[in-house]
Amino acid sequence: MEAIKSEYLDEKLETVRGLDFLQYRSQDLPTWCPGCGYFGIVDAFYKACRELSLKHEDIVTVSGIGCSGRTPIFVNSYGFHTLHGRAIPVASGLKLAREDLTVFAVAGDGDALGIGGGHLPHVARKNINITFLLFDNSIYGLTKGQSSSTTPYEMKTNSHPAGNPDTPLNPVKLALSYGASFVARGYAGNPLGLKQIIKEATRHKGFSFVQILTPCVTFDKENKTWKNLKENVYDLKLGIEEKNMETAMRIAQDEPYGVGIIFQDKKRPHYQEILRNLNKAD
Amino acid sequence: MKDINIVIEICGSAGEGTISAGEILSRFMSSQGFEIMSFDSYPAEIRGFGKCVAHTRISSASIYSPGKFADVLIALNDKHSISQLSVLKENGILIYDSQPTKPHKEDESVVGWAKPGMISYGIPLNMLARKATGNARGMNMVALGALAALFHVDKHGFTDSIKARYAKKKQIVIDSNVNSFLEGYNWTKENIKKIDPYSFKGITPSMQKEKLIINGNQLVAQAALDANLAFYAGYPITPATKIMEILSRELPKHGGTLLQTEDEIAAIGAVIGAGFGGKRAMTATSGPGFALMTEFTGLSVMAEVPAVIICSQRGGPSTGIPTKTEQSDFNSAVLGGTGDCPRIVLAPTDTKSCYEATVSALYLAEKYQTLVVLLLDFFLSNSIRNIDVPQKPSPKYLDANIAPDKNDLKEYQRYKITQTGISPRAIPGTPKGMFFSTGLEHDTYGRPNYSDANHLEMTKKRYKKFNAVLFEAPAPEISVTDPDEFDIGVISWGSSAGAAHEAVMSAQKEGINASSFSSMMLSPFPEKALIGFSDKCKKILIPELNFSGQFAHFATQILKRPVERLNFITGRPMASEDILQKMREM
Repeated sequence: MEAIKSEYLDEKLETVRGLDFLQYRSQDLPTWCPGCGYFGIVDAFYKACRELSLKHEDIVTVSGIGCSGRTPIFVNSYGFHTLHGRAIPVASGLKLAREDLTVFAVAGDGDALGIGGGHLPHVARKNINITFLLFDNSIYGLTKGQSSSTTPYEMKTNSHPAGNPDTPLNPVKLALSYGASFVARGYAGNPLGLKQIIKEATRHKGFSFVQILTPCVTFDKENKTWKNLKENVYDLKLGIEEKNMETAMRIAQDEPYGVGIIFQDKKRPHYQEILRNLNKAD
Repeated sequence: MKDINIVIEICGSAGEGTISAGEILSRFMSSQGFEIMSFDSYPAEIRGFGKCVAHTRISSASIYSPGKFADVLIALNDKHSISQLSVLKENGILIYDSQPTKPHKEDESVVGWAKPGMISYGIPLNMLARKATGNARGMNMVALGALAALFHVDKHGFTDSIKARYAKKKQIVIDSNVNSFLEGYNWTKENIKKIDPYSFKGITPSMQKEKLIINGNQLVAQAALDANLAFYAGYPITPATKIMEILSRELPKHGGTLLQTEDEIAAIGAVIGAGFGGKRAMTATSGPGFALMTEFTGLSVMAEVPAVIICSQRGGPSTGIPTKTEQSDFNSAVLGGTGDCPRIVLAPTDTKSCYEATVSALYLAEKYQTLVVLLLDFFLSNSIRNIDVPQKPSPKYLDANIAPDKNDLKEYQRYKITQTGISPRAIPGTPKGMFFSTGLEHDTYGRPNYSDANHLEMTKKRYKKFNAVLFEAPAPEISVTDPDEFDIGVISWGSSAGAAHEAVMSAQKEGINASSFSSMMLSPFPEKALIGFSDKCKKILIPELNFSGQFAHFATQILKRPVERLNFITGRPMASEDILQKMREM
């Protein structure tokens, strides 16, 4: 398994499989608004796939519903646009049935933390070997600007014109408490840094959780704008020994937002390994 | 040759060994070559002295329903048994404890409630159990001993069955059970003067082959394993949980994976994920879980991803009556959900056909790339039959995906319009076969497309393949085909079909010219066959275990003629006696 996923030279790949092997973008034009942070995210995603030399046919991108839900259309791989909030269960079943595939689950903040919020604790505690990318723009974009689970307190939205009465969730803190074995935060405005994070998340054997901060340029003109986000993120430079729970919880809580890999437990076996061990012992 | 057809009920309190006594009785009788059908009823609570009844019908000929009334009632607990007396036949036999530790208060002794025509045998069940084991725990075995002595059953064979039942337990447990049995047997032989007509002496049952003693849940799990199930996801719910428990033990041995999910939505989601990956996958649930799964059923149909849901019906709506049987999820399974959503629905008509239905479900889901719902009910899930060992599925049923060929892959259209409606399906990992699936309406490549012409074309495609299923669906069963005209035609489905068949057989003997029709395939429904049957019948009767006549309503739309309905929501399985009575009145 390890050997197949190792990186090798682009030229080598070109001679073996032709030029389009390196093209992870599909021919469909994205339907996102001009200036949307998601362009940065998928750019980082394409590059990560390329640098990991993943075979197109071995990738499946599974999404829920929302602006992020369209992502699989724009990836040159197998893709499954499922139901609102349900990318995680579908991706989990797929990965458990087909261990040989690289499975990405993609969801927005409303998708993953609102309607689908019940699935996150379980995929994390089971440590199912999928990579989960949370496109967090803190708003419901596709339904035109309602408050989501991460919308800041008192922010005026179309569902709460007088201000959001709900305290926002902290996705990184949640993932840590649920027992995710890999937790990172990325920023759509830094595709190169995000690429690095996605690569590490994909390499990680177990459930990897990546919160990606991104603006919604259409429905949030005040809070998480490009300008505000840029001023509020900084690169984390953590050594392996610093990626522990205590530090991670502090980083999760603090503003400005530390971007990078926040927590990783490399020793914990992923779900299929656990099942194999238990059934062997039986 | 003499024959026997007897219903024995053991009634006790939860924890008194009522169900195990019934199980030993059925296993022993099956080993003697008798046909058995047994069905237990117990409360939804695990403890708390609720009423348990082990109901077993034993016959030297074929049986199709559990029997509404009992010939014999063994009362391990007087209080619970008083209410069970209503099920005992007017000339039935009551076996009761003649020496309870504390004398019963007035009105609390079951024998005081026995009707004049009943035969009562008082056996000191409690005292004999104490004599044999030092406590009252062997009462159930004392009662079996008494039963064996009364009905001339082979004592040695019976003790062997008891030993086999407790083979995995400590020797002291085996001994105390066997001793209790013998204590009951010997005491009854010496002290009871038999005045009832029942006897197993000299009866040679028709069945001689080695039989499998099994219930519907176990058969579904076995069939799924035999049909290459690779993935199971589920959430515990009565009466389907046993399927997950069996597969949890067995599936890893077959190289498969089982996932216990956080809820039923995740379960069906994971099944669809595994199906997308090209593996055979299923889940099992009951009404309340199926309600949650309905969220995903449309995706399976729209994105054309195979998925199998076993739905074992219980009393509804909502949480309803978890440990009682009903057939009230017909509408939900056949019609539930949003949009024009053709899905395959199968309902086995007896325990044996649970095997065939499960194999068919996995096969049809894979071949037609769609959702298959298999409707069981509490009775089919839990009632125990002795059946012939089922034949393993032929290779045709084990690998049914129509994969794209080289030409298809030149410019692959995942949802290509074809003659059958089935588009060749690439499995992830296939180079050049990459596609995108969505629950949105889409074009032949899978890309979202909302044009009216496209929506019509794709909807037609989905219905085309759905209707094609009928060509290889299990054929309807008709109990009597000769003569060609009937006064009454009984149309039934699911677990009621056996009772309907039995009622028709009895009606024939009474001179009522009748036949019965049942179809395992509920959706798409074999409408032509139904109309053909109906045309031969002067009157139509549709018995089913729901209040509103869900299937009758569905069938009436096809038949376009009035039908008689017979509906029960008693929580008990359909009784042939009730159908027969209705036929007499028609």
